[in-house]
Amino acid sequence: MDFATLASQFFIGLSRGMIFFIVSAGLTLIFGVLRITNFAHGALYMLGAFMAYSVSTLFGQGPYGFWLALLVAPIAVMFISLVIERGLLRFIYNRDHLIQMLLTYSLVLIAGDLVKIIWGTEYKSMHIPEALRGSFNLWGASLPWYNAFLLVVGPVVALGLWFFLSKTNLGKICRATATDREMVDVLGINSTKVFAMVFALGGWLAGLGGALIAPTTTISMGMDASIIIYAFLIVVVGGLGNIWGALISSIIMGVGEAFGILFIPGVAIIIPYIIAGVLLILRPSGLLKSAW
Amino acid sequence: MSTNNLKLIENPKGKFNTYLGLGIAAVGIIVLLLAPGFLTQYYVYLLATVFTTALLATSLNLVLGYGGLLHLHHGVFFGVGAYTVAIVTTKTSWPFAVAVLLAPLVAALIALVIGWFCVRLRGLYFGMLTLALGQLVWAIVYRWNALTNGDNGIHAIPVPEFLTSINSVYYATLLILVISLIILYIITKSPFGLMLLATRDNPVRSESVGVNVKRHRLTAFVIAGFFAGIAGVLFVLVERSVAPSLLFWSESAEVLIMCLMGGLTVFMGPMLGAGILVLLSMVVGLYTEYWLLVLGLLLLLLVLFLPQGILGYLMEIYNKSQDKRGGN
Amino acid sequence: MVRMVGKKKSLIRLGSMLLITALMASGCGSNSPAKTEDKPVKVGIIDTYTGGAAVYASDSLDGFKLAVKELADKGGPKIEFVTRDDEFKPDKSTSWAKELVMREQVDFLAGTTNSAGSLAVSQYAKESKVPFIVWGGMSEKITGEAGHRYVFSTLPNTAIIGKAGAVQLSKSSYKKVWLAGSDYEYGHSLINNLWSNLTTLKPDVQKMDESWWRVGETDFTPYINAIRSAKPDVLVVGTGGADMVAFMKAVKATELNKEIPVWAHTSYDPSTLRPLGDQAPEGVMGTNPYLYNYPDTPENKAFAEAFKKEYNREPAAFALYGYMGGKFLGEAIAKAGSTDKEKIIDAMEGLTIDTPVGKATLRKEDHQVAIPMSYGVVANVNGVFTGSDLHTLNSEEIMPSVDQILKARSK
Repeated sequence: MDFATLASQFFIGLSRGMIFFIVSAGLTLIFGVLRITNFAHGALYMLGAFMAYSVSTLFGQGPYGFWLALLVAPIAVMFISLVIERGLLRFIYNRDHLIQMLLTYSLVLIAGDLVKIIWGTEYKSMHIPEALRGSFNLWGASLPWYNAFLLVVGPVVALGLWFFLSKTNLGKICRATATDREMVDVLGINSTKVFAMVFALGGWLAGLGGALIAPTTTISMGMDASIIIYAFLIVVVGGLGNIWGALISSIIMGVGEAFGILFIPGVAIIIPYIIAGVLLILRPSGLLKSAW
Repeated sequence: MSTNNLKLIENPKGKFNTYLGLGIAAVGIIVLLLAPGFLTQYYVYLLATVFTTALLATSLNLVLGYGGLLHLHHGVFFGVGAYTVAIVTTKTSWPFAVAVLLAPLVAALIALVIGWFCVRLRGLYFGMLTLALGQLVWAIVYRWNALTNGDNGIHAIPVPEFLTSINSVYYATLLILVISLIILYIITKSPFGLMLLATRDNPVRSESVGVNVKRHRLTAFVIAGFFAGIAGVLFVLVERSVAPSLLFWSESAEVLIMCLMGGLTVFMGPMLGAGILVLLSMVVGLYTEYWLLVLGLLLLLLVLFLPQGILGYLMEIYNKSQDKRGGN
Repeated sequence: MVRMVGKKKSLIRLGSMLLITALMASGCGSNSPAKTEDKPVKVGIIDTYTGGAAVYASDSLDGFKLAVKELADKGGPKIEFVTRDDEFKPDKSTSWAKELVMREQVDFLAGTTNSAGSLAVSQYAKESKVPFIVWGGMSEKITGEAGHRYVFSTLPNTAIIGKAGAVQLSKSSYKKVWLAGSDYEYGHSLINNLWSNLTTLKPDVQKMDESWWRVGETDFTPYINAIRSAKPDVLVVGTGGADMVAFMKAVKATELNKEIPVWAHTSYDPSTLRPLGDQAPEGVMGTNPYLYNYPDTPENKAFAEAFKKEYNREPAAFALYGYMGGKFLGEAIAKAGSTDKEKIIDAMEGLTIDTPVGKATLRKEDHQVAIPMSYGVVANVNGVFTGSDLHTLNSEEIMPSVDQILKARSK
């Protein structure tokens, strides 16, 4: 195994981890602040991919289609999330976890069939934008431009989240709510607004993840089920509600999977479960401190 | 601040007539015993499916309703039980009875391993870990082609001659269901069951009066796994084939829906939920391919307007009327 | 009413629940439609109309409907059908099979995209003696080791595809082979068959390693990068459904096809190439069971046009499978001159009919359809990506031998 292969595999794994991070950051944020296990997060990701497809198709899969899709699809998903939060979730905040979970699960079931009604059963596909096609040479191995693009987007999103959570007022309230909701309530801060906003932000991240993955894959029903398991594993391993925990475990998962694929390609399917299992046995309550 | 545990079961207040209860139970059992006489074969089969699912849902409720633990992946133990029967009967020369006896034990063993990790955690964390570890078991079953045949599943599982007709399967599942229900019922009323309720309602106080909360939870988890394994045996009797999809998390979600639909507060609630869901999926499936959409909308309404479940709601009304009568 | 001790109250609940359950059961009632002799043959279709695999079920259903319509137009046997959605869950497949047989009282079963579902239904078909036409499940086991009198397959299975791929690859000079695919029955079975046939046809090939990815993999770059670094002579891939398009995208993005020859079943199928648009990887080899524009015969043209007129799209392979299922059934009923199931089975065994791809036979010994298959490469022809350098493999070349089947069954 030469160095170039190891290095390129590392970067490919890292770019894989970036998608994981973008999706699971939204999930863990919602966990932390709303204390809701959002099973519908995968469905929102799927909607993001389908919306991205529709937007880019509207522009004839032209050069601007992808960039517009990347802008519009997450925002559309964000609005859907807002409707879900205002229309449904806010009525069940003081209920049991099970009730909350099953509500989000009902959305998974509904979304699955709605996607079929709206977009049909045929596989959808959108193109990688021209500027990001092909690969470049990396010490003799090659790395697709699109993976490199993800390596840029991931840190940008992470930085944006960091800025939002630690530098803005709203973000500080979010963190405070995640740590001690009663105290925030006692201080007279309107937590409802915070909840709505966080859920919308989580939806935006899911939609962004879906839009980003869309050009590299086939957009099909059922793509929600496979991502949600990854996202749950990552969030649990990272520490429920902790965004930086999610970042670390996303990277471990992405890079770990990439090297697993390199060294034991025959049983790649069980690698994420092994990574998660080992980490959970070592640290049963997650890598970083849970938000509550 | 409430704990992260479920608080759906309230302590019942109503007063009841023992002999009336026994009478209704006897009538119910007699009706079910006679049912194959006046039902067509298909509905006899469907009822056997209901019995299987009902046992699975009731066993989950021991952990979920009585233990207050957010157990999200109960289907794993069901699947392990079913797979144990399938593997023992097709890959070994051991007698069928061994397979049947082994299935709940293996399921309980897996429950012990998973539970051992999970009971250290509370609330959502417990739930997420059951989900993660359950999916790991699914992945193993899915991938271990040599043992499990992978995603092709195991079919044409041999069963003894006397268990091949639909009616005999019906009576076998009914018998095992009734026995299991009686045992589960006794467990919920035993000192252990009452202690379990206490650990659910107030884990901190339970701990401080010397109850080993974790051990109680683990025991409940293992018992639930054991009975889910029995349900897995029933599944093999009814369908005679298994596939990894039995262990996938969406199957477990359906069992959760059954528990919620019938009502977690009542011993027979999950059973009712299982019956309704099995029959409804069949009736809706006759007319449309959008069963999951229907189920989703139904679940949404249930969660928003009837979170105590159908039987839970009926019991509330009944208790209220009893209270009034007592006041008069 | 006398008030009793409270601690036994749950017995009432237990009792009332049992009663309700019993009432619900009896409320289901019974129905048994009277059967008459000239009643049309009723087919119960179980397939996956929900989720990622739904595209195949709608294709095969439309193909079947077209066949039923054509039969009726020609005054042939009347065929009725009902559909049930198994959600890609094998336990739902058998559950519906039982409903269709016992309650709906269908004469034939058909479906289902999920191989495990096909095998489960096949087992029930054998028990209930209701014949089952498989036009979705591709596992070789269906008509192979698990085959029996009551199961038929109108699509090429993984044994046939694997053999076709081996024939194509045996004509090349590649020695070091890397095998890869989707980590499920279809992928494993296809690759195993291809490899065992290839080692027979070309004993000097050697296997370097295998890669298996999960169904629904979204990013193939780590797999491709790992394989590229090992520098095999050829990469042989068995991946199905949605993963095929995603895999081809990754081949293009990593430009793997410029370094290492790639073989993948259905690489030049329209359902793979259409989503790829102008971004298809050139030179990827492959086999294909059906193309709407190849072979360029009047029969195929007529079928493609009729299908397009009816459903406003070109027929894909699964449309042909459903269509053949309907045609075989119709011609068997006509040949048997009866709607008796056993007589129809007898008529179906060894039946040869005209199909869009030429003569097709349901082999007498294993009830497996034998149709030719094409092989070729993905190429850019006048700005459009399509299958090029196409050749036809006759069905005799690619069918597993009857001896092999019987040997597998006797195990």
